[in-house]
Amino acid sequence: MSRADRISGIVWLLFSVFISIDSYRMGLGTLHQPGPGFLFFWIAVTMAILSIVIFVRAWVGKNAEGPESSIFGKENVLKIIFVLLSLFLYAFFMETLGFIPVTLLLFIFLLRMIEKKRLGFTIFVSVVVTGASYLIFEIWLKSQLPKGLLEFLRF
Amino acid sequence: METIHSLLYGFQVALQPTHLIYCFFGVLIGTLVGVLPGLGPASAIAILLPATFKVTPVSSFIMLAGIYYGAMYGGSTTSILVNIPGEAASVVTCLDGYQMALKGRAGPALGIAAFGSFIAGTFAVIALTFVAPPLAGMALKFGPPEYFSMMIVGILLLTYLSSGSMIKALLTAGFGLIISGVGMDTIGGEYRFTYGIRMLLDGIGIVPTVMGLFGISEVLMNLETEIRRDILTNRVKNLLPTLKDWADSIWSIIRGTVLGFFLGIIPGGGAVIASFASYAIEKKVSKHPEEFGKGAIQGVAGPEAANNAAAGGAFIPLLTLGIPANPVVAVLLGSLIIHGLQPGPMLLSKAPDVFWGTIVSMYIGNGMLLVLNLPLIPLWIQVLKVPYYLLYPLIFLFCLVGSYSIENNVGDVVIMLIFGIVGYLMKKFRYEGAPLVLALVLGKMLETTLRQSLILSMGDFSIFVSRPISLGFLIVAALLLIIPVITQRKKLSTLEE
Repeated sequence: MSRADRISGIVWLLFSVFISIDSYRMGLGTLHQPGPGFLFFWIAVTMAILSIVIFVRAWVGKNAEGPESSIFGKENVLKIIFVLLSLFLYAFFMETLGFIPVTLLLFIFLLRMIEKKRLGFTIFVSVVVTGASYLIFEIWLKSQLPKGLLEFLRF
Repeated sequence: METIHSLLYGFQVALQPTHLIYCFFGVLIGTLVGVLPGLGPASAIAILLPATFKVTPVSSFIMLAGIYYGAMYGGSTTSILVNIPGEAASVVTCLDGYQMALKGRAGPALGIAAFGSFIAGTFAVIALTFVAPPLAGMALKFGPPEYFSMMIVGILLLTYLSSGSMIKALLTAGFGLIISGVGMDTIGGEYRFTYGIRMLLDGIGIVPTVMGLFGISEVLMNLETEIRRDILTNRVKNLLPTLKDWADSIWSIIRGTVLGFFLGIIPGGGAVIASFASYAIEKKVSKHPEEFGKGAIQGVAGPEAANNAAAGGAFIPLLTLGIPANPVVAVLLGSLIIHGLQPGPMLLSKAPDVFWGTIVSMYIGNGMLLVLNLPLIPLWIQVLKVPYYLLYPLIFLFCLVGSYSIENNVGDVVIMLIFGIVGYLMKKFRYEGAPLVLALVLGKMLETTLRQSLILSMGDFSIFVSRPISLGFLIVAALLLIIPVITQRKKLSTLEE
């Protein structure tokens, strides 16, 4: 894990430095009257020290571990990226398009494009899941899902 | 005597038909959640939380608590039959449970897991009944310094017990504390770490964070490495363990129960750690440690008892101190707050129906689980046959709808997805999610109690060591930091030799 630790050590260090500056700017206050940045400044300083320890340890052990393996499996990284992208798009469009259309589209995308299932099967499953989840969440659990485009139907 | 009276009152509450139905649904959903890999009790409670807004706090809490301890029962089924843990506390059950199944002993493995869970769960509830009221009384004497020191112990304990590097666990705990500060400062009223982003103004919610870290990230990991599931279906017979099985496992169940209960009480402990600790102890005390990993029944009985006892034990700090011992209980705490109840020492006097009703419902729920679990195993096997390409979009959908329904806010969905990525990266870089969540949960309380203590003492830090209870906690905290340094030095010196 030496390479991964070196990378994560640097990321944590940058994060800690950023937070400590921001907390200092918010105000540390005094010991009698600690300010809003007081606790976070000291946490960030501690984190910076710990991240340096992680980095140095990984750096020292770099040569002892032999050849370094890659952190991400190359085969399915694209799959994960596309899946995540579809989930973010779901979140961004769920209020404008509404629960039913976005859920339908998400399932069609995941089953057809990602899992390469037959079109008939994809449409069947997507319609059934969307309908069933609407009944469960909206009708039974009263979750008040966004109606979006279908607002006019008022069902 | 007063406890018996209160217990009878609890029965009055819990035996109401509505509460019985909610208890039944809770344990049923819990078992299902336990069976399904990729969906843990924390995410399930979070998803169903909005659905409980319209029912009474007692019904709501009885059901949500049922999901928690129900999941502990269900998790073993997947571990034994598929070699995939249904949830984290059942990881260790795979080691011997699946080996037993391969040898045609899936029935006794499932049976002893269910009975062990029942015994441990019931013990934990009995202990909860008698320990909680005096502890709640004692907690009334706690001031800000005591609460602060206790939370420090909780966070450090979780980092100490984490399976990987303690430094990494401390870093994630620090990250959790920092993100707990996002939003409005409760003392001064100014916004912190929001950077003009609207969805950060209300802070980062526990529920979307938990769903992202444990739900979404788990599915992403599973997408990367395709799950192979060879379900053993034709070998599940003789669910009742034989006398020899009982003789072999009864002490494991007792040890697991006691260990699990105490690890459950301590903030930062919890079911996952309890199950691993129990397995390690069983292997150590066994006359045939070489059989572990090859189908030793003790390797199933001990950890399964431990994780159930821990689930029960975790209710003690929640109900008496208002402190969640683990992420799942943190979500439960959120549910109490949503219903206008403040978990802690005052809960017993302000909402005795919730306090005693929930405790008694756990006796009933444990009985239901024992009756439910064994006959329903064929049904759970059918559930497990659902292919993963159908299961993961459903888990995504539950998480998306669940996080949206908390406050009908897309911001929570985005936060959940971001923490899904964070959780995935943390898994890749070998960082654990639990310290982050516990720190996020305790962060606000920790900061408030620190600042209150310093205001009380006029800026004098000695307030934390001049009060005996607080000093006791801080000594434990110091030990938790010192022990790893000493043990590592020892390891290094033996290596040098």
